[in-house]
Amino acid sequence: MSWAAHQFEVYAIQAHLPKKMQGKVSFWAIWLGDFTPDFLSKFWVYGITINGVHYGSSVPHQWHRGWPGMGFTHTLFLGILVTLGLWLWKRNRAWAVGYLLGFAAHALTDVNDSVGTMALFPFLTLNFSLETWKYAASIEGGKYLDAAAYYSSLGLVMDLFWLAVVLASWRVLTREYWRTTVVPADPGVWAWFGRFLPERGLLALYRATFFYGVCRLVAWSTWAHVVARPVIDGVERVGYPLDLRWTGPWWMPGRSLPQVPIWVVIITVTVLLIALYAVLGRLWEPMGRAEKAHRAKRAARAGR
Amino acid sequence: MPAGIGEQRDHRGSRRLGGAEQAFWYAAAAVSYVILSLWHKWLLNWFVGPLWLVVVVTAGPSLVDRVRRR
Repeated sequence: MSWAAHQFEVYAIQAHLPKKMQGKVSFWAIWLGDFTPDFLSKFWVYGITINGVHYGSSVPHQWHRGWPGMGFTHTLFLGILVTLGLWLWKRNRAWAVGYLLGFAAHALTDVNDSVGTMALFPFLTLNFSLETWKYAASIEGGKYLDAAAYYSSLGLVMDLFWLAVVLASWRVLTREYWRTTVVPADPGVWAWFGRFLPERGLLALYRATFFYGVCRLVAWSTWAHVVARPVIDGVERVGYPLDLRWTGPWWMPGRSLPQVPIWVVIITVTVLLIALYAVLGRLWEPMGRAEKAHRAKRAARAGR
Repeated sequence: MPAGIGEQRDHRGSRRLGGAEQAFWYAAAAVSYVILSLWHKWLLNWFVGPLWLVVVVTAGPSLVDRVRRR
């Protein structure tokens, strides 16, 4: 799984929308799409322990990414289904397109760990994984070991990469960008929040996911490499060992599910990304016309 | 989103922050959140993290203004 990368990619998408979509795609839809997969599945991955009894999945990685399990929450199939539902319900292009972009970013980023995602579900229930780092969620280790393993592997580089992408497009975090590009795409939602928050609070709300991403990256990395005193192979260490090799870290047993060869993953993910971009680009104008027609019909009905 | 009501006040009549003051409150939120969450890791979640920033940036300057007025 990816950690702060999921927070940063929301702003990366926002900053790199095709020109015709800039200022017209909802930031909150991208945010919701990106967070949906883990909202639906993550709570049971670590589970909770009450009075010494653990409540949660018995095989976390199977639950999180597999089939049977909640692995379908990390598939483009679910993203497309929810997007279609949103479109049929609201006929809102800003939300439909934003949601699918956010969802796709999450599902495709997660092919990097050793478990991966079912990119071609429901046609194929094999997982697609690049095995860039080890998937480390487990009942014994819980969230702490998961964080330690992620921030000791190329997962850390993944987070830093997405942070660099956002920082390279730093204008996306400015007040000016928020006022002129983000708010006009979603005036209703921002107006609602504006009933409770002053402008500085609204701007903080917009930046809050980025803030959280930076803070969790710093906090978990610091804890894993400075504060923690793990015992690995019977030796107590100052911090978890950093291992920036492919499929690291070495000190963590790997978890995986039946999967396709890596070259199939690379080709499939590339094709899916290009197809998504092309389809959304092609549908953008017709969706705009359908939205206008829908609004006109509703206005006419209300005027009667 | 209502248009800005003057340069200094927003749509709710709250004070807009200058660049340095804004940087101070964001830094205060980040430092306090990271330090506290190192020892209380349950704070590191999707809800508390974003809320922390919004609360510090929204309530912090208001509290300081109130104390200064006394």
